[in-house]
Amino acid sequence: MWKNTVSKFAKKTLFYILITSIAIIIITPLYFLVSLSFLSSRESYQFPLPLVPAISSEFKLENGDKGYLLSIYEKRDKEFQTLIDTGNIEKISRYMKTQLNVNVSIEELENYISKLEEQNEVYFKSYKGLLHNYKTFFAITRDAVPALIRSLQVVGLTILISLSIGGMAGYAFARYVFKGKNSLKVSALFVRVFPTVAIAMPMVIILATMGFYDKPIGLSLVYSIRIIALTIWITASIFLGIPVELEEAAQIFGATRLRTFINITVPLALPGLAACAMYAFIESWNETVSAIILTQFNPTFSVVVYQSLLDASAQVNLAASGGLLMALPMVLFTLFIRKYINQMWGGTGI
Amino acid sequence: MLIAPTVIYYCFFWLRPVIVSIYNSFKGVDGSFTFQNYITVFTATSFGEVFANTAFVAGFSIVIEFILALALALLINKKFKGSAIFLFLAMIPMAIPAVGAAAIWKTGLTTHGWMNSLLYYFGILAKGEKIIFLSGSKFSLLWIIIFIDAWQVIPSMMIILLAGLQNLSREAKEAGYVFGGNGLTVLKQITIPMLKPTIITAVILRLISAIQIWLIVVLLFGFDRIPLLLERVIYYKEEVSRLDNSFQLASTYSVITSVIVTIAAVVYLKVSGAFNKNEGEVI
Repeated sequence: MWKNTVSKFAKKTLFYILITSIAIIIITPLYFLVSLSFLSSRESYQFPLPLVPAISSEFKLENGDKGYLLSIYEKRDKEFQTLIDTGNIEKISRYMKTQLNVNVSIEELENYISKLEEQNEVYFKSYKGLLHNYKTFFAITRDAVPALIRSLQVVGLTILISLSIGGMAGYAFARYVFKGKNSLKVSALFVRVFPTVAIAMPMVIILATMGFYDKPIGLSLVYSIRIIALTIWITASIFLGIPVELEEAAQIFGATRLRTFINITVPLALPGLAACAMYAFIESWNETVSAIILTQFNPTFSVVVYQSLLDASAQVNLAASGGLLMALPMVLFTLFIRKYINQMWGGTGI
Repeated sequence: MLIAPTVIYYCFFWLRPVIVSIYNSFKGVDGSFTFQNYITVFTATSFGEVFANTAFVAGFSIVIEFILALALALLINKKFKGSAIFLFLAMIPMAIPAVGAAAIWKTGLTTHGWMNSLLYYFGILAKGEKIIFLSGSKFSLLWIIIFIDAWQVIPSMMIILLAGLQNLSREAKEAGYVFGGNGLTVLKQITIPMLKPTIITAVILRLISAIQIWLIVVLLFGFDRIPLLLERVIYYKEEVSRLDNSFQLASTYSVITSVIVTIAAVVYLKVSGAFNKNEGEVI
């Protein structure tokens, strides 16, 4: 009896150790992406990298050989380290901003310096501008903000196109019996097997003749190809789950086909349609290959981040900021759609 | 009537580009019909390497990911405290865009990146000692790619398999035990066959995208270090776009990639017996 409880307890412990270690393996890289994106340039050049980005730093200001000597307190070594020695106050302020992500105005510095006349050293503490790297990322990458807007346009258009076209077909598959229904359904999936690049390459010319090359609508048209296929499958199964009797009842009461669809069917199918829309969001937000091929002067946000990462001179902290900006919407999205993902895979809502 | 838009859309935006792509791959520099592009691609010494790299990465990543994901799913297959949070965590890596994942691992694998820092904090690396991840032998780089891919894919594959496991009827398993089966035979004879549709779904989706890995490789190692099928397409399209035939070569490579993906998918479905059942169940 006693032995049994022990082995049960041991099993449970082992189980939780397993779960925790998987969770740690999943989280660690994500944690560092977040952590690195808050590091100052100075911190990001240190080795080993700080595990936790500093929120504030303590500084020491004293008279130096060339003017004023600024030092920073290094928690790891428990001592002050010299940063810069100059008579130019503006230079100190700029140094603190670009290298340390700390915003100290020239007036404040002058205030500290005036104290140096009475005492040998002045100590002060400053808080780090937390969003500094993100601001820098937008400042140094060529048109990151317009690219972000374009990405959102692409996402919106893709959802619109794929939901309307795919939803219609899904409804047809669910409600009507017709010849070749099965082979059509399978061919809709075959579309996904074919790599997007193979489509994107010739699309350059096709879109150019339509005047859609290098425009969000052009990208949406290409993205929709893959997404429509999945939308048909998901919506077909959703519409199948809505009893025909409800629609027939509405029609008996004099509603037209269209009104029935809008007032009865769509509201009932809403959760599933939302899942489709979110799926379209993920695919079109993340897509990079086609976006590289199909844009020239108007890249999407993923292309901007891709290029900044490809640039070898990019600093670790800025690369992390860009990556996080790309990943964050998706992580938030996962939070909202996890219910639907389980449904999609036929899960019972574990 | 309602499927007409889909059909038209696919004819215009799928069938047409596919045909144009195939056409371009047979087009010479002077615009005439030729096999020259394929001859150029297949006879180049790099093609063997490209194919081998892609096959190596795709093959090993799928096998490793599938075995680990299945093992984890079987181990975890029950409700436990905090399972909702755990499943949410497991969904994150797959949702992360390739570019975001590249940012994670690029900052991690550089010599002064967080991987080395972490090893240092754990005392595995002595002071001043660093592992140079990104410029090792080709073999080690291929394993890095597989490792990164595994980190992204295993958690979500595990969720898919878990969802499948939850749907299995308990009775069948119990019957297996009643008739004298042990854990292993029940797993082999009952659980896995019943889980087959889910497994096929999980693996086929993975197979299709594993052959198309390229972005993370390019962002970590740059172009040309580890040539892969899809990497070649972007390489000819964006990096060496000045050649007379670079567009044709890119088209040729994209057609070859498509054919390989399709063959791999069809062979896999044939072998796994998905065609025996109603085709609608494939995915």
